Amino acid sequence: MMQYARPKKPSTWQHFRILLRKDLRREFRTREMLTSMGLYALLVIIVFGAALALTARDIDIVSMGGGLIWVLIVFTSLLGLGRSFSYEKDQGCIEGVLLVPMDRSVIFLAKAVANMLFMLVVEVIAVPLFYFFFMTGSETSSTFLWIIAPLVLGTIGMAGVGTMLSTITMHTRAADVMLAVLFVPIIFPLLYACTTATTAAILGSVAWMDYFVIPLVIAAGFDIIMLLVCWVLYDFVISS
Amino acid sequence: MTVGHARITAPPPSTPPAPIPAISVRGVSKVFGARRALDDISFDVPEGAFVSIFGPNGAGKTTLLRVLATLARPTSGQVVLQGVDTKEEPDQARALLGLISHAPMVYPDLTAEENLLFYAEMYGISDPKARVDELLDAVGLAHRRHDAVRTFSRGMTQRVAIARALIHDPRIVLLDEPYSGLDPYAVDVFDSLLSDLRGGRTFVMVSHDLKKGLAMCSHALVMARGQLMSFQAKDEIDIAAFERLYRQVVGMGVA
Repeated sequence: MMQYARPKKPSTWQHFRILLRKDLRREFRTREMLTSMGLYALLVIIVFGAALALTARDIDIVSMGGGLIWVLIVFTSLLGLGRSFSYEKDQGCIEGVLLVPMDRSVIFLAKAVANMLFMLVVEVIAVPLFYFFFMTGSETSSTFLWIIAPLVLGTIGMAGVGTMLSTITMHTRAADVMLAVLFVPIIFPLLYACTTATTAAILGSVAWMDYFVIPLVIAAGFDIIMLLVCWVLYDFVISS
Repeated sequence: MTVGHARITAPPPSTPPAPIPAISVRGVSKVFGARRALDDISFDVPEGAFVSIFGPNGAGKTTLLRVLATLARPTSGQVVLQGVDTKEEPDQARALLGLISHAPMVYPDLTAEENLLFYAEMYGISDPKARVDELLDAVGLAHRRHDAVRTFSRGMTQRVAIARALIHDPRIVLLDEPYSGLDPYAVDVFDSLLSDLRGGRTFVMVSHDLKKGLAMCSHALVMARGQLMSFQAKDEIDIAAFERLYRQVVGMGVA
């Protein structure tokens, strides 16, 4: 075999880009996560439709909209997050990556960003569908589009925490159940804040900003703290 | 010898420093709960050696290989690879290592070329495309470079795995039952690849095949119940006595 220059260790940024590109390439080739999350979101919307069909005249769907959207997002995300490490484990690929000299926290960052992008793609389809099925008959406020802010912040936090937890539960039996059991309690503050902010944006009452900004600040704080904690702990977690 | 008025005495002739072993394992133990998977293992592997590790299931062979590969942290003890402590400088140690295991560590949905380019870029190979071309030629898969790995046979997938492990030209190659599941043709291809790679590299191979493992090795290591039973250079081995020891430890079964 030919002689070639000794490898030069890539920077953390380069490792991040290579890992992210690999995850995106694999997903856009198989559409495994996007298809399953998209179908699952559609099924949840159908279940909502069936559950609310008989009571739709008696309940205010607009005031429930924020909560229902987050139910949809949480369950859909759980499905995707659970799968994000299963294919890394199946062929021992994660060990191939762990053999590379690198800061292992980059694996977390690349995977979390990939998961966040996949979740956002599904939300871009699922939330308009939800609006189409449940809210077109109701009058929504002019502030409706502000729901994008809690959706983005919530997705960032859920992708970060979910990526960490799916790494922890990767080698456990009933990994999907373990992920859900750990995921929902940990993201509860984020979920509560995002649901409040989303509902405030949908309702758009006189003092809507008061109910919108504070939860949004809480959600942003949660994201920053949890992402930093995950970043710092990830090397230990994945090496264990 | 004099310089000006000062007399400088030449230092007394000293013995040349002992060569640094390629792998030095010192008092390594690995505990999982109440089970001691590795129990105070120590041995040195000289540069360029081929070590075959034998032992029954549950003897700790794969755990030892995972500790050498930095995929598992020893509970106690030290592993030094070519003078690099795996605990103190894990990145430098990982740069020296290649691991071929029964799990191929390649993404089935990516092509052979995409898999190898991914690893080449991760290792920082200066011309990843040229290196991938070279390795695909070496493992005889250049004609299937654009096919997804999931369409490959077990033997072909293992050849991609070999290329992946060698992408950064590692000085130490760890092999964890690399022949498992290979058909006779793939075994021949793998043997030929290994013999091409032998020059200067150090190999450690876990094997259940005593005859093949002994034929390939320069040193043989026997483990049972997490303990090192024997570590000998092949030319010191009495084959009949070694086979008796092997049958005895295999009879000990799982720890």
